[in-house]
Amino acid sequence: MTYVLNRLLSVILTLFLITLVTFAVTNILPGDVAMMIMGTQSNPEALEGLRQSLGLNDPLLVQYAHWVGGMVTGDWGNSLIFKKPIIELLGQKAVASSIIVVMSMVIALVLAVPLGVWAAVHRDKWQDNVSSSSALMGVSLPDFFWGIVMILVFARWLGWFPSSGFVDPSVNFWGTLQHAFLPSLALGLGLMAHLTRMTRSTMTGILSQEFIRVARAKGLAERTVIWRYALANAIGPVITIAGLQIGYLFGSIIVMESLFGYTGMGWLTYQALLNRDLPLIQYTVVVIAAVVMLTNLAVDLLYVVIDPRIRLG
Amino acid sequence: MKRFKTTKGLIGIVLLLLIALVAIVGPMVIPPDAATAMDMLARRAPPSLAHPFGTDQLGRDLMYRVILGTRTSMEIAVSAVLMSIVLGLPLGLISGYFGGFIDNVLMRLVDTLLAFPALLLALTISAVLGPNIQNTIIAIGVAFTPYLARIIRGEALRVAQMPYVEAARSSGTTDGMIMLRHVLPNILPAVIVQGTISLAFAILAEAGLSFLGLGTQPPAASWGLMIQASRDQLDIAPWTALVPGLAVALTVLGLNMFGDVLRDILDPRAK
Amino acid sequence: MRRRDFLHNTTAILGSGIFLGTSLPSALFAQETPVSGGTLIWGHSETTQNLDMHQTGTASSGRVLQNIHSSIVTVDKDLNVIPGLAESFEVASDGLSYTFKLRPNVKFHNGAVMTSADVKYSFERCKDPATGAVNFEVFNNVAAIETPDDLTVEIKMSAVNAPFLSRLAENGAGVVMPVDSGPTQGTNPMGAGPFKFVSYEVGTVVKMARHDEYWEGPAHLDAVEAREITEPTTRLTGLRTGELHMINDIPLDRVGELQGNATLQVKTWFPLNFDFVNMNHTFEPFKDKRVRVAFDMIIDKEALMQGALWGQGATTASPSFPTSAAFNKGLKQRPQDIEGAKAMLAEAGYPEGSLNVVFKATTNYPYHIEAAQILVEWFKAAGVNMTIEQLTWADWLSQCWVDKDYQMTMMNFFTLWESDFLYYSVWNSTGAFNYRAISDPVIDDLTTKARITVDDAERAKIYQAVQQQILDESHDIVLWFRNGTIGAQPAVMGLDTVVHPNGSNLNFHKVWLKA
Repeated sequence: MTYVLNRLLSVILTLFLITLVTFAVTNILPGDVAMMIMGTQSNPEALEGLRQSLGLNDPLLVQYAHWVGGMVTGDWGNSLIFKKPIIELLGQKAVASSIIVVMSMVIALVLAVPLGVWAAVHRDKWQDNVSSSSALMGVSLPDFFWGIVMILVFARWLGWFPSSGFVDPSVNFWGTLQHAFLPSLALGLGLMAHLTRMTRSTMTGILSQEFIRVARAKGLAERTVIWRYALANAIGPVITIAGLQIGYLFGSIIVMESLFGYTGMGWLTYQALLNRDLPLIQYTVVVIAAVVMLTNLAVDLLYVVIDPRIRLG
Repeated sequence: MKRFKTTKGLIGIVLLLLIALVAIVGPMVIPPDAATAMDMLARRAPPSLAHPFGTDQLGRDLMYRVILGTRTSMEIAVSAVLMSIVLGLPLGLISGYFGGFIDNVLMRLVDTLLAFPALLLALTISAVLGPNIQNTIIAIGVAFTPYLARIIRGEALRVAQMPYVEAARSSGTTDGMIMLRHVLPNILPAVIVQGTISLAFAILAEAGLSFLGLGTQPPAASWGLMIQASRDQLDIAPWTALVPGLAVALTVLGLNMFGDVLRDILDPRAK
Repeated sequence: MRRRDFLHNTTAILGSGIFLGTSLPSALFAQETPVSGGTLIWGHSETTQNLDMHQTGTASSGRVLQNIHSSIVTVDKDLNVIPGLAESFEVASDGLSYTFKLRPNVKFHNGAVMTSADVKYSFERCKDPATGAVNFEVFNNVAAIETPDDLTVEIKMSAVNAPFLSRLAENGAGVVMPVDSGPTQGTNPMGAGPFKFVSYEVGTVVKMARHDEYWEGPAHLDAVEAREITEPTTRLTGLRTGELHMINDIPLDRVGELQGNATLQVKTWFPLNFDFVNMNHTFEPFKDKRVRVAFDMIIDKEALMQGALWGQGATTASPSFPTSAAFNKGLKQRPQDIEGAKAMLAEAGYPEGSLNVVFKATTNYPYHIEAAQILVEWFKAAGVNMTIEQLTWADWLSQCWVDKDYQMTMMNFFTLWESDFLYYSVWNSTGAFNYRAISDPVIDDLTTKARITVDDAERAKIYQAVQQQILDESHDIVLWFRNGTIGAQPAVMGLDTVVHPNGSNLNFHKVWLKA
C-alpha cells in the first residue's frame, strides 16, 4: 500500500515539476503570439491592445498560477492561434496520435519479435547477422527519411495509400486506418531495431535456461518449445521495453506527423511552437510529458509484476 | 581484442575509421569553396564525371558537400555527446554514490526531464536559443543528459556497493577521492558504450532538427540539412537524398556495430 | 489623360489582366456549359487559423473566407473599384462623403436580408480597436456612418482620404457581416458570399457548402473542401494521385514539369507579390548611399530570379501593380557589376574583406533561403562576408519586423495594394511598415502630398517619382514579381475565374466540375 502511495505522490510531484519546467522554458521563447496573429499588419497600438486582451502582460508568477489553476479545474482556455478550446483541440489530436502510436508499436512488434526469435534460435550464425543487420537498417536512417520514401513508393507510385491527411475515426474508421498506416510504418521501422535486439537477447537468455532443456528432453517439438514456452516468457520484458520507447516515439511523431500532414499531437505541438502560441505550447508539452511519464510508470509497475526478482529499490 | 575479429566488429571499425578520416582530413584536401560553389547550368544533375555524386538544386557538388557535411555532423554529434557526458557524469556519479536523499532529489529532476521526449526538448531549446551550430550542440547535449545521468547513476550505484569501495570508505578516504579513484574508473566502460550509442542518436537528432529548420544554417553543409533539401526532389533527383542518407546510414551502422561489440567486451553482464 | 484611358493603354501593352499562362489539355478549349453539382477538393497550402475576417491578417484565411464573405465594393482585373454588395456608389466632390446604394434582397447565410444596418455594424466593428481588426486604420478618417434608409449608407469623413474606396475593396475592410455576428465570426464565419461555412477541423479541413441564395446567383459546386496540406511535395502528390481536384502554390521547381504533363491543368498568374532585399538603415554601413548602391550592383536580379524562383516570375524595378497607373515603366534595375561594386565599397571605406553582414531569411518562404544562398556567393566575389540566419516566421516578425534587429533581410508584399497604402506604410519615415528605418525627406514629402491629391493621374505621377527615388537612393533593392500557381485535374472547369484580382485570394463561385 505504502509503495503505491509513494509512487502516487512521486507522480504528482513529477507532474508539478513538469509544469514548472514547461512554463519556464516556454516563457523564454522569443517572439510573441500577438505578432504571429497580426502578421505583417502588426503595428504597435494594435499589438498592445491584443497583448492586453490575451493576458500576456501579467507578471510571470500570476500567469503561472493562473495556468496551473486552470489546468487543475479543467479550464484550459483557448488556443490563441486556432481560437478553439484547447481541451477540444488536444482531445481530437490525442486520439489521432494514439492511433499512430498503437499502430506503430504493433507493426514494430509484429516485425521485431519473429525476427528476434529467429536470430536467437540461430545465434551467431548467418541468420543472426541478417536479422541484426536488417533491424539496424530501420534505425540507421532518420525515420522521416523512411516517411519520405514511403510517400513516394506507396502513395505516389503504387497508389495503395493516401499521401497525407487524417480522417476522424468516428466518420470513417477504415479511412482513419488508411491514413495512419504509412506514418506508422515509418515509425515502426525505427522502433524495430531496438525491439529486435531485445527480443533476441531475452530469448537467448531464456533458451539457455533449465526448463527449456527439460521441455526438449521431454520430446516436445522444437517449434512448440520456442514459440509456446520460450516466447511466452520472453514477451513480457519485450513489451515493457516497447513501452519505454513511448518517450522516443512521441518525439518522433513531431516530425513524422508534420511530414504527412497527419494532424495529431506532434503536429499540434510543432504548430504551437512555430506560432509561439504560448498556452497551446504549454498544454501540449505538459500533456505529452505527462503521458510519457505515466507510461513509464505503468511499465515500471508491469516490470515488477512480471519479474518479481527485481527489487523495488 | 579477439572479440573484434567478428565480422560485425571489423565492419564497424572500418566504417568508423573511414568516417573519421573523411571528417578530419576531407575538408582539408578539397578545394576551398567547393561545397558552396554553384553551377547554375547543372542544377540537379545526376552523377557524372564532373560531379561524381551529382549536384543539388542550386548546382552544388554533392561529393564536396557530403565530405564537408561529415565534419559538421560529426562535430555536432561528438560535441553534443561530450556535453551530455560532462553534464550527466557528475550528476549520475554523485547521485549513485551517495544514494539516499541526494539520489532522490537528483533523480526526481532527471526523471522530470526524461518525461520530455528528447527531440521535443532539443526543439524547444533550439527555438529559445536561436538556430546555429553551437546552439544545436547545446540543445542535443542537454536533451541527452538525462539518459546518460540515469545510466551512470545505475552504474555508480552498483559500484558503490562493491566491497573495495566499502573498504576505502572505512579506511578514511574522502568521498571525492573514492569517487575519482574507485568508482569512476569502473563506470567508465559503461560511459564509453553509452557514449557510442548516443553518438548514433545524436546524428539522427541533428538530422531531425535540421529537417525542421533549426540546426545547421545554409549554405553550410550537414547531413541533416542535405536530407531536408532532398525531400522535395526525391522523385526527380534521388541522389540528393541517397548521398547524405548513405553517409548517415553507414555512420550509424558503424557506430551501432562497434558499440555492440564494445558492450560485449567491456560490459560482460549485458547480454 | 483621364485615369480610365491611361489604364486602357497600359493594359494593351502588358496584356489584359494578370493571367500569364494556362496550359490546358487541348480538348477542353471548346466552350462547355457549366454543370451543377459535386464537391471540389482543394489542397490548400497553408493552415487556416483565424476565421474571423476582420482579425485575420493571413493570406491563408483570406483564401477561404473570400468565399464566405462579400464586400461592399470590389475590384475588377484592372484594379478599378466596381460595385459589390453596393450596386452603386458616389464620392462627393469635396471628398468628404461617400454614398453607397445597396442591392436589395441580398441574403446572408442565415436567411436574413442585408440592410444598411449590417454595413454600419461591420464597418464600425472593423474600426473598433477592441476588435483587433487588421485593417482598422482604413476607417481612421471616418467621422460617422449614417443609414438614412435600409438600402443607403452614407459615410462622412473628417478629412480627405483619397484611397478610401480602394481600401474598402481590399480584403477584409469592406466585408459586410450580419449585425451582432461579431462574437461568433471566429468559430462560425457568416456573410453573404457564395458558400456558407460548414465546419473546420483544425489543421485538417475547412468545409463549405453552396449558398443557394447568393446575390450573384448560386454557385455551380455543391460544396468545397479545403484540405490543409502544407508540405509542397505531399500536396503535389495528392494532385497527381487524384486525391485532390486542385491545389494552390505548386512548388516553383515543378511548375515546368507539370505544364508538360498532358493531363493536368496548370494556371500561373502574375503577379502574386513582389520581393525586395532590405537593408537596415540603422546599421552603420547602410547609412552610406554608396554602400547601398554597391550592394544593388552585386546582385544579378534575372539570374537570382531564375535561381530562386526557377523562372516563375519577372524582374521589376517597381513594386507597383504592373497594370496600375502608378507603375513606373521607365524604371530599370541596375545590372550586375561586381568590380564596380568593389570599387564603390572601397571608396566608401570598406575594402575587400572588411565588411561582414548577417542576412536573416525566413523559412516561411523557402525561396528566400535559396535566394540568400545565391547572394552569399556573389557577395563573396565582391569581398563582402555574408552569413545567413534562418528564422522561423515568428522569429522573423519579432526580430526584423518589430524590433528592427537585423542587418539585411528580404521580404515580400502583395502587389495589389493601393499605392498610398504601399508607399506610405513602407517608405514614409512614419510608415507602419517601415522596418528598415528609412528616413528620406523627399519620399516623405511626396507620399504626404499624394494623400491629398485627388486627381488620379497626378497621384500616379507622384508615386512614380517615389519609385525613382527609391531606386536612386537604393533604399531597398526591389527584385521581382512572383507568379502564383494553381494545379488542377482536367475535370475542374472555370479556372480562369478562380483568382481574385489581388492575386492571392481564390473564389470558387464560377468553378464547376465536369461529370
